[in-house]
Amino acid sequence: MPFRFAIFLLSPSVLAAVEPAIFTAEIRPFIEHHCVKCHGPEKQKGKLRLDTLPPDFTDPRTAERWKEVVDSVSSHEMPPEEEPRPHSLDVAKFASWLETRLADAETAKRPPEVVLRRMNRSEYNNTIRDLLGVDFQPASRFPDDPQAGGYDNVGTALTISPLRMELYYDEARTILDRALFAGPRPEVVKWRFDPEENADRGMDVLRVKRGRDNVILNAGQISRIAGEFTFMRREAWNGSIGFRDFAVAVEGDYLIRLRAAAKVPERKAFTAWVRQVLEKRRAAEIALEPQKKQWIDDDFENRVKHFETSRTYDYGPPRLKLTQDLAGTPSVIAELDIAAPVSAPQVYELTRHFTTARGGLTFENVYEVTRHQENGDLLGEDAFPRPELGIDWIELEGPIHAVWPPKSHRMVLHESEKETTDEATYAREVLTRFMPKAYRRPVFPAEIQDKLALYTAARPGKSSFLEAIKIPLISILTSPNFLFLVEPKVATATAEPLTPHELASRLAYFLWSSMPDETLFRLASDGSLAQPQVMQEQVDRLLADPRSEAFVKNFSGQWLGLRKVGANPPVKGIYPDYDRHFEISIVRESEGFFSEILRHDLDVRNFLKTNFVTINERLARFYGIPSIKGDEIRRVPIPDGLQRGGIVTQAAIHTITSNGTRTSPVSRGVWVLKTLLGTDPGLPLANVGEIANEIPGIDKATVRQRLALHRENPSCARCHDKIDPLGFALENFNAVGQWRDRESRPNTDKEAADDPVIDATGKMPNGVEFVGLAGLQDALLGQHHSFENSLATQLTTYAIGRELGFSDREEVRRLTSAMNKNGNSLRSLIHAISTSPLFTTH
Amino acid sequence: MKFSPISRRTVLRGLGASISLPLMEAMLPSTLHAAPSTYRPLGKSAAKAVPRAIFCYVPNGVNVREWMPTAAGNGYALSPTLDALKDHREHFSVLTGLGHPHATGGHSGADTWLTGANLRAVPGKDYSNTISIDQLIAEKVGDQTRIPSLEIGDMSGTGSAGHSHTLAFDRNGTPLPTENSPQQLFERLFVPQDASSREATLRRYAEKRSILDSVIREAKALEKKLGTADQAKLGEYLTSVRETERRIQREADWIDVAKPSIHADGLQLTSKPMDGHDRPMWLDVMMEISYLAFQADTTRTITFQWSREAGGYGGSGENHHELSHHGGDADMLKRLANIDRFHLSRLARFMDFLKATEEEGGTMLDHTMIVFGSGMNSGEKGDHSPENLPLLIAGGSKWGLKHNQHLAHQVGNHPPLANALLTIAQKMGVETDKFQDATGTLSGLA
Repeated sequence: MPFRFAIFLLSPSVLAAVEPAIFTAEIRPFIEHHCVKCHGPEKQKGKLRLDTLPPDFTDPRTAERWKEVVDSVSSHEMPPEEEPRPHSLDVAKFASWLETRLADAETAKRPPEVVLRRMNRSEYNNTIRDLLGVDFQPASRFPDDPQAGGYDNVGTALTISPLRMELYYDEARTILDRALFAGPRPEVVKWRFDPEENADRGMDVLRVKRGRDNVILNAGQISRIAGEFTFMRREAWNGSIGFRDFAVAVEGDYLIRLRAAAKVPERKAFTAWVRQVLEKRRAAEIALEPQKKQWIDDDFENRVKHFETSRTYDYGPPRLKLTQDLAGTPSVIAELDIAAPVSAPQVYELTRHFTTARGGLTFENVYEVTRHQENGDLLGEDAFPRPELGIDWIELEGPIHAVWPPKSHRMVLHESEKETTDEATYAREVLTRFMPKAYRRPVFPAEIQDKLALYTAARPGKSSFLEAIKIPLISILTSPNFLFLVEPKVATATAEPLTPHELASRLAYFLWSSMPDETLFRLASDGSLAQPQVMQEQVDRLLADPRSEAFVKNFSGQWLGLRKVGANPPVKGIYPDYDRHFEISIVRESEGFFSEILRHDLDVRNFLKTNFVTINERLARFYGIPSIKGDEIRRVPIPDGLQRGGIVTQAAIHTITSNGTRTSPVSRGVWVLKTLLGTDPGLPLANVGEIANEIPGIDKATVRQRLALHRENPSCARCHDKIDPLGFALENFNAVGQWRDRESRPNTDKEAADDPVIDATGKMPNGVEFVGLAGLQDALLGQHHSFENSLATQLTTYAIGRELGFSDREEVRRLTSAMNKNGNSLRSLIHAISTSPLFTTH
Repeated sequence: MKFSPISRRTVLRGLGASISLPLMEAMLPSTLHAAPSTYRPLGKSAAKAVPRAIFCYVPNGVNVREWMPTAAGNGYALSPTLDALKDHREHFSVLTGLGHPHATGGHSGADTWLTGANLRAVPGKDYSNTISIDQLIAEKVGDQTRIPSLEIGDMSGTGSAGHSHTLAFDRNGTPLPTENSPQQLFERLFVPQDASSREATLRRYAEKRSILDSVIREAKALEKKLGTADQAKLGEYLTSVRETERRIQREADWIDVAKPSIHADGLQLTSKPMDGHDRPMWLDVMMEISYLAFQADTTRTITFQWSREAGGYGGSGENHHELSHHGGDADMLKRLANIDRFHLSRLARFMDFLKATEEEGGTMLDHTMIVFGSGMNSGEKGDHSPENLPLLIAGGSKWGLKHNQHLAHQVGNHPPLANALLTIAQKMGVETDKFQDATGTLSGLA
């Protein structure tokens, strides 16, 4: 049949149309030559076959494969070292042709655009704070925000569910109840408690009368009274001070005040005490078993040496943990050092919201003396010298309001002559002022009218104006125009610029994780924000504002992975250093490090290697840096010989790349690849389980040896040959970031003399070999362009709230080089991003 | 100043402190872990014989050496750990060799225990989950009770991706927050809302509806100005608002039904969730409230995460997570097995309650299906594997669940765990043969 024949004849030319000439002439031969041996008809390493992979860049799965090919060839990861290397010109031609086609295909489909994104929890909290003047983290009840591309502000992943809708509604009501007030200023109550009132120290037995309540007052059974103070010795069920089983009559913010002082044992007095105790014990032991005298003497000397040299006993001030219990739900509301000496006690004060539910406050001294083998049996001794926290008295005073009606009230319900004389007009005034702020743009009269109708309908059934106006206000706080960062757009082929108000919101949510302030509103309204000069000034102004701490926390927390600290904590029995104070401190260290580089316009290469650390007293004790006092993080030059400086030397990173009982060179390698080199090694093939603790035939197998076994499997080796060697370079840091020279046995961190010495040789993905931390840092500095480009990619993703596509690569390169030319600082990168079309257009 | 007599709580805390000493603990038989709650079962249930299900999760796996029975089938000998349930051996089956094929191990077990999801399956999302079996059940039977389903956990809230603090996920894969305060849970279930007349409540519902109507109008106006991807997002919003309206209707339907009257006497509602000393009391009181909710037919589906992954306590406040990294250490394994037996002793007590309570021609235990287990297997060497999970299913014989058996499956060649979950769902009345990757019901279980 001629018809069928015609089709048969036609098909080769159809194929040719799909497969462009250059593909046939250059790409195909390159693949035949360099790839098909392992990715062809015979073998499909990594389940990848290239000879049959069609040049169809519009199909997402096929395009994904091509991207992988481009990335691994252009980074010289492929072909593998043992194979003949293609000429670098061929590689460049190969990669650039494919890149262009991939980008074209993506653009033709419609360029990637920011998908309507709702506020995440942090943005919601901050927005409520700035819009209504109440700061109580209302979003903490919302479910966790899902991430995409590593960030929780990417629209595609931020879903809304019925549950979330319910919570938006409930929280809107709670927020308004806390922001708005009616009636006269409530009467203030002030209760004072003195732990000494509980003379016989019993727990939960003494009741004291305060207001209507018989409040239980605890003074801690094991605490001791000295002068005005009752000293809490350590964390224990019977060691806390507090009062409970009361309820305040009026909900509101209350001041919790305490007069407190610290007693911190001097090192000298400490060692003297220990020596005397140990000597007594030695004498007793020798008397009992004289034949063991030599052994007992040696043990004595060892222990004395421990107590004289260990940094554990360079005590810091005692640490207060304050827990509020309301209706059976405890929440820790403060954790802080109490450093004032007994000679100069201080009054500490904090504000906390109380509902009228029954509850209590518990004060504990949670300073933790790190448990060692040498002190295990002494820690239980009552007289063991340790930092003690003395409390003279505690006060609860409130509800407190600096002005009446409170500031939050006036932020919504402004002073107006209509307030009492003409409710309907006042309601319109209120909504006209509030809605543009809440929606972050000018609003239409019809929008105000719709909300006003809610008020009008509600007013007759309500006892007061306040209760009625809450109805439209709740509706505003559950509206899509409030919950989403709305950027309306019609489908066009070209990228349209954002409106000035949309731009103001993008900038504010980028650097503050919150709504635009009045200045930004003004600059949006007069249109000047679109001028690059004005934009630059605003970037600097926003960065100088304390609200930019949200940027530091949210970006560094996700870019570096700091939010993962504590999710799978190192096991206490092996890593006794890792306590709560340590955990808080290491996160603050890395955030502080980011902040230092940001705020002082340091070259971003400082992330890779630098000559300072950002630490507090707790970390100084851990790192072995003397004379740092106080809990605040500050910049400290690194003393000679200390192996620190740069993000890869920080304990937070070591902890999140460990698995609780040991380091994980695999996680560390992946972290370095993704965070510092911008390469995603992808997912492991399948769950291969925990690596074995022991290898038959090797007495003390190191993690490196145990992983080598794993890499004997070729399908594992394909990726792990690139991953593991980067992690090995950091093997001198244990699972909590402590420097070590030897690798101890599994399930202990005690070094034995015959433990294997750490082999920290490593290798970059391009094959360059190096040794240890210094070697890794130099190798990374050698590839600082990859790092800078990766940083620019990450920061741009965070700034605009979408994952970057292939077609964005060129613009990101431009942003990177703009940073390179302007001091290589984060600020210069932020300046470049804020005026980039990626940021200023749809 | 007035002195009140020493409270029981003080005495108990004192006891807790004394048994937490490591030496003492080793000398004590595990029965001394028994919680000090003196609450007693009610004798007769207020509910009809309806199917109900509770899913209890323990983190960090178990000591498998002492958990896994050696023989399979009906006449199997109880393992040292399962011996803690010997009084109930006629009423439970132990399941071995099972797991979710998509689960990735580590401490993400609670995320997928009841969903079986592949958490990395959706492009453009670093994490996504799917509906959990309890929610599938709640969609079917939830409208017959005041509370469609209960979510309990020791951390409250939802936790984070891969470290879930809840076992329940709705149809969108959104985690449903758990409650950890016995006081608040009790109030929600059994204490009548005060000072709100029927009319006031209805007015509140009407008010909420008018507010939602207003935001729907806004969303519709907005929709016209958006591109397609944005419209899809806004679609999620609209669906959620409409579902919220449906729930208001549901609540309105229940307004004339009074909450069951239950006395709190003897319930230790002040037990703290995140406190090692309080652990036995807290577990017991939460199970007591679950029992009360079942017998009052306030809900028929409960998920209860006893502890979060990488956390948890034993009966004397031991650090559960630490012991799960035992690396094969004999002493740690021994202590881990003690925690496992402690957990089973609390489960046994719950089963005692159900068994002691008559209900329409049987006992509550005959009508209540219990799934107990972990999403992690800490193996011989402290692995964190998602295969061969410790699991047991108890109760529900009225609905055809078969017990007194060890259903052993081959690791590496076993039916998906979803089959067991599907079996429970079907027994709960969900008419489906599909759930996640289930290939059918689990043979031998029913």
